[in-house]
Amino acid sequence: MPFIEFKGKKVEVNEEGFLIKAEDWSEELAKVLAEAEGIDELTEDHWKVINYIRQYYLDHDIAPMVRLLCKETRFPLRYIYQLFTSGPARGACKLAGLPKPDGCV
Amino acid sequence: MEAPANHRLILEHLKRKIPRRLAILVNSCVHCGLCSDSCHYYLAENKSRFIPAFRTDRLSSLFRRYHTWLGRLIPFWTGARGVEELSLKEFTDAVFGECTMCGRCSINCSVGLDIGFLIREARKILVELNQVPRSLQSTVDKAVTTGNNMAIKEEELTGTIQWLEEELQQEVGDPRAKIPLNKAGARVLYTLNPREPKFFPLSIIAIAKIFYAAGENWTLSSTNFDATNYAYYSGDDQAARIIARRLVDEAEKLGVNILAVTECGHAYRSIRWESPNWLGKRFGFKVKSILELIADYLSEGRIRVDPSANSAPVTLHDPCNLVRYGGVVEVQRHILRQAVSNFVEMHPNRENNYCCGGGGGLLSMSEYAELRLKAGKAKVEQIRQTGAKVVAAPCHNCIDQLMELNKKYKLGIEARTIGEIVADALILPSGRVNPSTDSPSKKG
Repeated sequence: MPFIEFKGKKVEVNEEGFLIKAEDWSEELAKVLAEAEGIDELTEDHWKVINYIRQYYLDHDIAPMVRLLCKETRFPLRYIYQLFTSGPARGACKLAGLPKPDGCV
Repeated sequence: MEAPANHRLILEHLKRKIPRRLAILVNSCVHCGLCSDSCHYYLAENKSRFIPAFRTDRLSSLFRRYHTWLGRLIPFWTGARGVEELSLKEFTDAVFGECTMCGRCSINCSVGLDIGFLIREARKILVELNQVPRSLQSTVDKAVTTGNNMAIKEEELTGTIQWLEEELQQEVGDPRAKIPLNKAGARVLYTLNPREPKFFPLSIIAIAKIFYAAGENWTLSSTNFDATNYAYYSGDDQAARIIARRLVDEAEKLGVNILAVTECGHAYRSIRWESPNWLGKRFGFKVKSILELIADYLSEGRIRVDPSANSAPVTLHDPCNLVRYGGVVEVQRHILRQAVSNFVEMHPNRENNYCCGGGGGLLSMSEYAELRLKAGKAKVEQIRQTGAKVVAAPCHNCIDQLMELNKKYKLGIEARTIGEIVADALILPSGRVNPSTDSPSKKG
């Protein structure tokens, strides 16, 4: 299993960089994952999306529908695609520490 | 060395379940090597194990060993191999991780072998041995147990559709514009790829806008909306039947004339070409790609488009399961020639186009992600040579792979569905083209 070095420890990720154990996530780790995504700096708006997805996942064990994401963050859909150029699944969900969603993503 | 139980199962499968078509296939390869340059894996990596004939020989060498008299008597003479020489890991990697079943080798094969079919037969054996890669199996399981491959609940779908309906009404400036749900007696039942309502709903609004402009009598199902069938990829016919039957039952229940499939290659192939065989029946409705409907609307004058709305150069990707295996080749070109002002074909194109590298279920299999992105090199070069800024890709699966290739190889393109391109150019009944609104889908 691949891993990333973080604070002297090995954190398990899958072949596409999604965390294997959601509990390994932390804000500092999200910054490391963001670098791999090509996002130099996580802005307040990035965090709004990440934190909502993270909390929704902890409550429901699945990623939220993008409708809820727009509704709760009050961000237009296209703005979310701009914030996370890999999209809500490969981009935002990965940074929020979710496992890779199933399906065509 | 693998467990003997696995060996026994493989041999039993070859003995009992090998269809005539496969028996012909495994006996007919003349090792001419024409297929090598046809494969996007071999072009990217140049290793002999990526030559399609070499890949299929893993299965046919076994067949020769046990089912041909020469192979039984003098195995080394025919290159026959005993099952004890087979590494299950290597076999699994070869048929799941190193082939997208795109079929390009088949049309370049000197004896016309359907190698994609042979690979799927090999995948069937691995289904029996529980060797389907974890992430692909999980997608099939989600579809079977929850009704769609992203486990979207009915209330989540209806909530999303209501939201999109409000968007649509703002975009077309008509509060009567609808996205009808579960409407019995509609002419068209439109089906989705779950990634649309879950993460990428702009493609749904685009099609709703086209249906609105055409005055179509259409509907979506709130429960059986998933057009995909990942069991086609995994090789699990039993699961494939369960998934296919839902769509067929829904179309029959609503009494529609046409089941229209979203821009998704394997979904079209599964329901249009594979499902009548899986279910052993003819359908009382037609199965069409949404592209065929859009082309009809344009030809009949039911919708009008202004190509100046799409002025950036656009090229077209040919999804394997829609084009090479599906037979939907010209309608998308017919549409683009009208909806964009600068359409550039990539080369080669149509049935001879290269796979993007994301087909065959590979996009969902993280296990092989690194090789998948390498295998996209042929596609990257094709796109670069067109100089296009937009790649029209009538397949959501291909779009995701193209987005990843775009990022990795810094192509600077945008991958879009044909529906989205047409919707942008649409001249609405009220006469406005692509009205700019402050609706939530627009830029903030």
